[in-house]
Amino acid sequence: MTAYVLRRLAQLVPVLFIASIGIFAMIYAVPGGPVGIMLGENANQAEIDALVHDLGLDRPIAIQYFDWLGSAVTGDFGVSLHSREPVIKLIGERLPATLQLAAVATLIAVLLGIPVALASALHPGSWLDRMLSGWSALALGVPTFWLGILLILLFAVELRWLPSASRYVPLWEDPLEALRHLIMPAATLGVYVSGVLARFLRASLVSQLGADYVRTARSKGLSRGRIVRVHVMRNALLPFITVIGLMMATFIGGAVVTEAVFTYPGLGRMLIQAISTRDYPLIQGCIIVMLVIYVAINLTVDVLYAYVDPRIEYS
Amino acid sequence: MSEAGEGRVATVPAPSARRRKGLGPRQLLLAIGLAMVAVLGVVMIFGPQLAPYSPSATSLDALAPPSAQHWLGTDLIGRDVLSRLIVGGRTTLVITVAAVGLALAAGLVLGLWSGFVGGLTDQIVMRGLDIVFAFPVFLLAITVVAALGPTIPNLIMTIAIVYTPILARVVRGPVLSVKRWDHVEAARSVGVSEFWIMVRHVLPLVISPILVETSLTLANTIFTVTALSFLGLGPPPPDPNWGGMLAEARQFMELAPWTVIAPGAAIVFASLTFIMLANGLRDRLDVGGRQ
Repeated sequence: MTAYVLRRLAQLVPVLFIASIGIFAMIYAVPGGPVGIMLGENANQAEIDALVHDLGLDRPIAIQYFDWLGSAVTGDFGVSLHSREPVIKLIGERLPATLQLAAVATLIAVLLGIPVALASALHPGSWLDRMLSGWSALALGVPTFWLGILLILLFAVELRWLPSASRYVPLWEDPLEALRHLIMPAATLGVYVSGVLARFLRASLVSQLGADYVRTARSKGLSRGRIVRVHVMRNALLPFITVIGLMMATFIGGAVVTEAVFTYPGLGRMLIQAISTRDYPLIQGCIIVMLVIYVAINLTVDVLYAYVDPRIEYS
Repeated sequence: MSEAGEGRVATVPAPSARRRKGLGPRQLLLAIGLAMVAVLGVVMIFGPQLAPYSPSATSLDALAPPSAQHWLGTDLIGRDVLSRLIVGGRTTLVITVAAVGLALAAGLVLGLWSGFVGGLTDQIVMRGLDIVFAFPVFLLAITVVAALGPTIPNLIMTIAIVYTPILARVVRGPVLSVKRWDHVEAARSVGVSEFWIMVRHVLPLVISPILVETSLTLANTIFTVTALSFLGLGPPPPDPNWGGMLAEARQFMELAPWTVIAPGAAIVFASLTFIMLANGLRDRLDVGGRQ
């Protein structure tokens, strides 16, 4: 088990190494480089030379990279070009908003996805199955940003029940106000993720329902409900854990877009704003933090799966 | 029979009862999918000729609701929404199709080559692709576009890079089994070159799952393209595209809801087209589904 965890960690090294080079290099790919961004187009040569020296850009590129990497590992991503504040502080302010959105969206996705998958797997080919698979196709076929806009049109513009631009209110401070601002973005993201969830879980359930142990359980007189609850769900949810990593990728993209639609002050929206103001240290910081969260969750899921299901070979 | 023979039974499509019955409901799905593809194709090829107005022509008739003159109304500076939808659709679709086309070409070459040659080459190519695959698609796309700048060629390149590993894997899988079949060995024994075996005797047998996966990738790509454009990372204004139109219209949707309905509906139409095509093809070609 320990060997397996170590091997999984070792596999991450090339991934993170290449990612860090890419993220480091992106600032050099911009026309004018970092100096061009900071000084604008009208800077004279003396100013440019002074800044190049101050920033240490006249040193060999490999040394600059390891210097940057050393700081980044300790959480020092530099200072935002726009607000002049430390990037890590700005990220720390926005991260709770995104995590709160993600948590509520996950809850919605699970509450929608599991019943849909169960209902359609237990009655394959029925009108219910067809309706529900149509629904999950719709959840996947309608882009998140458009679903968000339609929700705003209905609940904010027509009915005036909810605000059209969402603020971040911590759930523990004012739960009602927090939900008022959170429910539309979380539903938008949750519906989308539930489509992916329902599709995978349904497939997993259908294959388990045809297994021998289900027939055995039937023949010894267990009720159908009990078989599903006690035997099938456990076995069907197990392979499902591996899909969580895949869903996380969908989740991150969905969250960035959802935050933009609802002008919700999370990490994704800060990333997009940083890109539009060409605030490269902030862009780099946001991308690193998102990537680390993504990689960490995937690693946890893999290890958890190997732990839960002893049949998995650790190779 | 040998192991190679069993592989053949599993992969070669057997004529199913459904197919012999003729035009079933599933065949209808493929027909509808193809008809929808034709609509998108016409928009892609003839876009500017079909538009009733110039997509950038402004008028005093701003934020007008749908009418006989402007079927889908006008936007904030009086531009015809229908014309922008048609011309913008062309841009969006060209980026989507070009990106998937490039990813398919790269995926075919890498998947065929690494699957067929095997050994160390296969290891190196697949581990390299795994690294790209380890990143969330959307984050990778945002990073590359942010670094290179949002131009149409950059968008096409970025999206092609992101989807290449997925398509390469789909190609490689069946190649691994097909290359062990008897007819490949027979071709080799009469002196056919390895390259020709790959192209003539392996590729045709693995093409079905590739077609299905490609149309699913098209559906995903249309989301990626429009989402990037919605976030301001798409083709620069004033030329219209679906994602960009939605982002503009988002700001004054309280006044003119039709400006957000039209581009969104167009995106859904396009993605449904490719999903139906994928489902129809999967059935027609008897490919084991992903679902």
